[in-house]
Amino acid sequence: MKRRHLIATGATLALGGAMPARAQAGWVPTRPIEIVAHNGPGSGPDVFARALVSTLEQERLNPVRMQVANRVGGGGATAMNYIMDKRGDPHVLGVWTSLWLSLPLVQAEARALTTDMTAITRIAIEPALLVVRTESPHRTLADLIAAARARPGALRQSGGSPTARDNLVRQLLMVSTGTRWSFISFPGGGERLSALLGGHVDLMIAEPSEAGEQVRAGRLRVLAQVTEARLPGFPDVPTLREAGFPITDVVQARGLVAPPGIPAEAVAYYQGLFQRMSQSATWQKYLEDNQFQGAWLSAADTATFFVAYQDTLRGILQEAGVRVVR
Amino acid sequence: MEVLGGLGNGFAVALQPINLMWCFVGCFLGTIVGILPGLGPAATIALLLPLTYGMDPTGGIIMLSGIYFGAKYGGSTTSILLNIPGEASSVVTCLDGHQMARNGRAGAALGIAAIASFIAGTFGIVALTVMAPPIAAFALRFSSPEYFALMVLGLSLVVVLGGNSLMKALLSLLVGLWLTSIGTDLFTSQSRFTFGSSFLISGIDFMIIAIGVFAIAGVLESIKAREENTALPVPGTLRELLPSRAELKACRFAFANGSIVGFLVGVLPGAGSAIASFIAYGIEKSVSKHPEKFGTGVPEGVAAPEGANNADSGGALVPLLTLGIPGGGTTAILLSALVLWGVKPGPLMMIESPQVFWGLVASLYIGNLMLLVLNLPLVPLFAQILRIPLYVLFPIIFGLSLVGAYSVSDNVMNLVLLAGFGLVGYVMAKLDFPTAPLILGFVLGDAMERAVRQSLTMSQGDPAILVERPISAVMLTLAALILLTPPAMSAWRRHTKHQKGSPS
Repeated sequence: MKRRHLIATGATLALGGAMPARAQAGWVPTRPIEIVAHNGPGSGPDVFARALVSTLEQERLNPVRMQVANRVGGGGATAMNYIMDKRGDPHVLGVWTSLWLSLPLVQAEARALTTDMTAITRIAIEPALLVVRTESPHRTLADLIAAARARPGALRQSGGSPTARDNLVRQLLMVSTGTRWSFISFPGGGERLSALLGGHVDLMIAEPSEAGEQVRAGRLRVLAQVTEARLPGFPDVPTLREAGFPITDVVQARGLVAPPGIPAEAVAYYQGLFQRMSQSATWQKYLEDNQFQGAWLSAADTATFFVAYQDTLRGILQEAGVRVVR
Repeated sequence: MEVLGGLGNGFAVALQPINLMWCFVGCFLGTIVGILPGLGPAATIALLLPLTYGMDPTGGIIMLSGIYFGAKYGGSTTSILLNIPGEASSVVTCLDGHQMARNGRAGAALGIAAIASFIAGTFGIVALTVMAPPIAAFALRFSSPEYFALMVLGLSLVVVLGGNSLMKALLSLLVGLWLTSIGTDLFTSQSRFTFGSSFLISGIDFMIIAIGVFAIAGVLESIKAREENTALPVPGTLRELLPSRAELKACRFAFANGSIVGFLVGVLPGAGSAIASFIAYGIEKSVSKHPEKFGTGVPEGVAAPEGANNADSGGALVPLLTLGIPGGGTTAILLSALVLWGVKPGPLMMIESPQVFWGLVASLYIGNLMLLVLNLPLVPLFAQILRIPLYVLFPIIFGLSLVGAYSVSDNVMNLVLLAGFGLVGYVMAKLDFPTAPLILGFVLGDAMERAVRQSLTMSQGDPAILVERPISAVMLTLAALILLTPPAMSAWRRHTKHQKGSPS
């Protein structure tokens, strides 16, 4: 019955207004808070935003009503521009994902830079698994790398856009081992997985929620986990470091930002609010169900993370031959 | 008979009153969503998802797939009556459906759409029931080179879809191919043809082009023509509102064609129902005895694409339910719904959660029947909409088009684009350029470009990969036949005429 109270948005939304705010020095929200997601209903950022709202409600942490707004378009740019244009408004928050940090690097049209916004928190990290087909001759990551070395360019990896995490990990692995294999972009997760299951590509870096069931059914084999520490669901699989490939950790993370120029008291308020939310049982359950890892960072650390992540990304993309505009 | 046992248990689940009710709620909501342009099944399911968390997973998936199937059914209504495609999958239905309405056969067109949807939808579900695992295994053999061949096959239909001038049809196709390249290039993350506008980074939505070129341009054209009659003809008697025996007879092949094409294309994760309906329409026209009548309101021009887009739903559930692979937007949301209910979609789902799998399959049979019963009585009612005088109807069409285009991404820029495409469609009609090839190019171009680049990356630049694999070789041969048949036929005709005409 736990899933019943997981996300019960709509109905309970109206009750939120009457909740007493915990004593906070300085600033408290006075009107409904708008949480912006850059994709449509049902997409990753949207589901994440709605999960945040419902967790705050169930834990009775929300001081005012919170409303998810889908500002779709421009591959994320519409939502980012919106946050930028709300300068000084502390009643608007945006759900950022790694895309918010990579988009400004490669799109000249992007005028809103996430690094110019007010960082609030980082909340979760999405781990990944490096998987091959069960029929694959490669039993370990070392086998796979040896095969790539023997036949440069012959192995194929299915993935998303070149700025996505799966390609970044590939670039780092190739540079650190002096090998080379190809990367084939597919727009949808279903197509990426079909290409691997059908044997048209040799490897994929997939999210546990995508690949987990295929692994359990014996169709895919996990060679390594793209994580700092082993995931509870895969206790016997080494991390990249443990497998002998200690590359820079490219995390795919999510969190919240606010428009530029909001009061420091508001930043402190939100930082505390989401810290309490992250520690709640409801949120822990959500993370576990979706195979995310909790990765809360303070506002200051999140701002540092933005810059460090973009620097890493810029280096990898330039190495990969992607045109970087900033 | 594992299948029969499973299906029997499934019907026991699906016929429980509560599940019957969810099935009805889903079908009803889906029909409404289908009728409203802009709001698609994917967004509706996502918005309703929170309401289903408290539900039993079986009831939940039954309701949500009712929405999925219902939206496909309802999508044809506005296509036929107002020339506004309700969903991407019903764009092709505008071509002959709306012409039928203009000829006073709106009721017949709606009836044929409902019957074709029922027949092909049922075919899709039967195929899903009896051969899901082998078909899913077959779908996995499809990769980029095969998708390339499929798209070439689709594009070759331009010779059938185009009007009198092949040159004009090809030009129209090229514009469609160019429009589809606007936006971010998946392979390099670079922008193409965005002219510095962040609005165009995600490209132009298919629905905006379709609504502009069909609905807006259609109204402009009608206004220009200053039609004498103030309303479209609607027959008075119920008998004339329903499809005639002759019309149904003309659709016999279209029902089968739509069923098979729709299902097979639906199974492939990289194709969509818009592609399925285009291919079914193209095939229908190319085998027809009177291809020149297509586009003037022939019933089989409604039956083939409507059948295909409904059989497509059954096909799309094959990889979802047997492998846990979502083929498109709507099935991806159904997948996340299953996860949230604690059902693990994947290769083991049929074994571990048989009640969900078989309950869903059985409810699809019931839902499909429900949709027919729900939709047929509405046909005479909907047909009355055309009694509205044109000076009232045209503003309604404009209004619905604006709402539809705006709701694609809640952006006012969409309306500017909509007006632009309305004008483009109008000018094209004036200059006698066919618009169907433009839409065809837009739908297929993107997928074809991706398939070529993926294939060439796979083969490290060797183009032989595109032709040497058996499935793609067969499809490319078919495409070549389609392309070469009309010129060959006309050459042969000229030859025989010449022989007949010459004195012996």
